[in-house]
Amino acid sequence: MNDVVNSSAGNTGTINAAGVSIKDLRKSYGTNEVLKGISLDVAPGEVVCLIGPSGSGKSTLLRCVNLLEQPNEGAIHVGGFEATDPEVDIDKMRRKVGMVFQQFNLFPHLDAKRNCTIAQTKVLKRSQAEADEVAQHNLERVGLGHLSDRFPDQLSGGQQQRVAIARALSMNPELMLFDEPTSALDPETVGDVLSVMRNLAKEGMTMLVVTHEMGFAREVADRVVFMDGGVVVEEGVAERVISAPTQARTKEFLRRVLDPTHIDIEE
Amino acid sequence: MAMTARQRARVSLYVQIGIFIVAVAALVLATDWETIGNSVFNFGKIGPMFPDIFLVGLRNTLIYTFLGFIVGLSGGLLLALMKLSSFPLYRWLATAYIEFFRGVPALLVFIAFGYGVPLAFGVSWNITVIVMISLGMVASAYIAETLRAGLQAVPKGQLEAARSLGMPQWRAMVSIVIPQAFKIVLPPLTNEVILLTKDSSLIYVLGLTASQYELTKFGRDGISSLGAGLTPLLVAGAFYLIITIPLSLLARKFESRSARTKR
Repeated sequence: MNDVVNSSAGNTGTINAAGVSIKDLRKSYGTNEVLKGISLDVAPGEVVCLIGPSGSGKSTLLRCVNLLEQPNEGAIHVGGFEATDPEVDIDKMRRKVGMVFQQFNLFPHLDAKRNCTIAQTKVLKRSQAEADEVAQHNLERVGLGHLSDRFPDQLSGGQQQRVAIARALSMNPELMLFDEPTSALDPETVGDVLSVMRNLAKEGMTMLVVTHEMGFAREVADRVVFMDGGVVVEEGVAERVISAPTQARTKEFLRRVLDPTHIDIEE
Repeated sequence: MAMTARQRARVSLYVQIGIFIVAVAALVLATDWETIGNSVFNFGKIGPMFPDIFLVGLRNTLIYTFLGFIVGLSGGLLLALMKLSSFPLYRWLATAYIEFFRGVPALLVFIAFGYGVPLAFGVSWNITVIVMISLGMVASAYIAETLRAGLQAVPKGQLEAARSLGMPQWRAMVSIVIPQAFKIVLPPLTNEVILLTKDSSLIYVLGLTASQYELTKFGRDGISSLGAGLTPLLVAGAFYLIITIPLSLLARKFESRSARTKR
C-alpha cells in the first residue's frame, strides 16, 4: 500500500482535515434510548467506518455530529467547534462538515453545477464565477465534469450520489460524513461511488462512514467501529475487526453480512 | 332467458341514452322559446355594451384578480410558513385567520372591508386598494392551505441537505424548499386564480364608478338599461369563460408535466 501514501502526499494541500471527539453521547426519542453513552475519537485525516445492524444507532450518531439530531447528553467537538455548546453557531460549524445522504438529497430544481454552487454563493458569499470554477473542479474530481448541466432526474443513482459528494466538497469541508452512501444504489453503480470515496480518503480527508460495504471498510478504513443496541461493542483496526472479531455479537453480525446464504442453508 | 354480462351492459347503455333523450325533449318542449329569445338570447340589443365591457370591464376584472392574487400569494405564503412554524402562537394565529376567512362568504368580507374599515379608521382609500386588500385577504386563506400542502410535500431530506451545507433555516426555505413547493402547487394554484377571478365579481357591492366597473357590473347595468332581459349577464359570463378556460387548460398542462417528470 505504499502507492497510497505516495499519492496522498501530492493532494493533501487542498484539505485541511479536522478531527472529531465524541464523549458519553446519549440520545433518546421519548423513552427509547438510541445512543447509550458513545465515546469515539477520530483523528484528522483518519477514515472510520461505523458498522452494525439496522437500529443500532450508527446513523443517529452520524447525524448528531452535524446536529441534524440534537443529542440529549454528552459532548461533541468538531475541529475548533464544540457542537454541543448551546451557543455554537450551527451554520458556521456545518460549513466545515460535509454530509452525504443515503437518498442523495440533490436539489431537483437545480442542475448538477448549480447544486454545487448554491451554498457557495449564498453561504460562503463566493462570486458566481469562483463558485462555478470550484464546482467544475469538484465535479471533475468525481468523474462527472461532462455532466455538469444535467438535472438530478437525468442522472443515474450512482451519478447523483457522486454529484452529492462534489456538492459537499465544494464547501471545502474539513470532515465528511457518509450515511450509508451506497445503500440506495443499483449494484453496478456502487463501485463508482466507492472509488470516489477511496480517492478522497487517499487525499487525507477525515471521514466518518456508516456502511454495509465490508470490502470498502476493510480496504479503506483505518478503523472500524461495530455498534449494536446504542453502544460501541467493538472497535479497532479495520482488518482486525472484520477478519478476527473478538466479541460474539460482532462475529454473529459479520457472519450474516459476509455470507448471508450460508445462514439460510444452516437454519 | 339469462343475459351475458356484455348483453346486460349494452341494454343498460341503451336505457341510459333513452332517458337522456326523453329528458332533453321534455326540456325543449317545456321551454317558452319566444320569451327566452327576447330575454336571454337577445343579442340584437347588446351592441351598446361594446367596446366598454371589453376595454373597461375585462381589463378591470383582470387587474382586480391580478392584484388580489399578488396579495393573496404573499399573505398565503406567510400564513403557510406560520402554520408550519415551531412557535405555537404563529400556528394558532394562522389557523384562526384561515378558518375565519375560509368560513365567511367573500361578499361579507368585501362589505365589511369596503364600508367598515373607512368608517372605523376615518380613512378613504382608493377603491383599487380596497379591492386589492379584501380580495387578497380572502385569497390568502385559500392559498395558504394550498402552499402548506406543497411545502409539506417537499421531502424532509431537502431541508436537511440544505442545512448541512451551512444554510440558515430561512435561506434553506427561500432557495431550496419554497421553489420546489411552488412547482408542486402550480396546478392547484392556477385553480385558485380561477376562483379568484369569479370572486372578483362580488366587488360590485362596493359601489364602483364607471371607470372601475368590472364584468359583472357591466352585466347588471346592461340588464336595467338595454331592455334585452338577462342577455347582458350571458355576455359577461362568456367573458369570464374567456379568462377561466385558458387557465383551466394551463392547470391541466402543469399537471401532466409534473406527472411526467417525477419530483
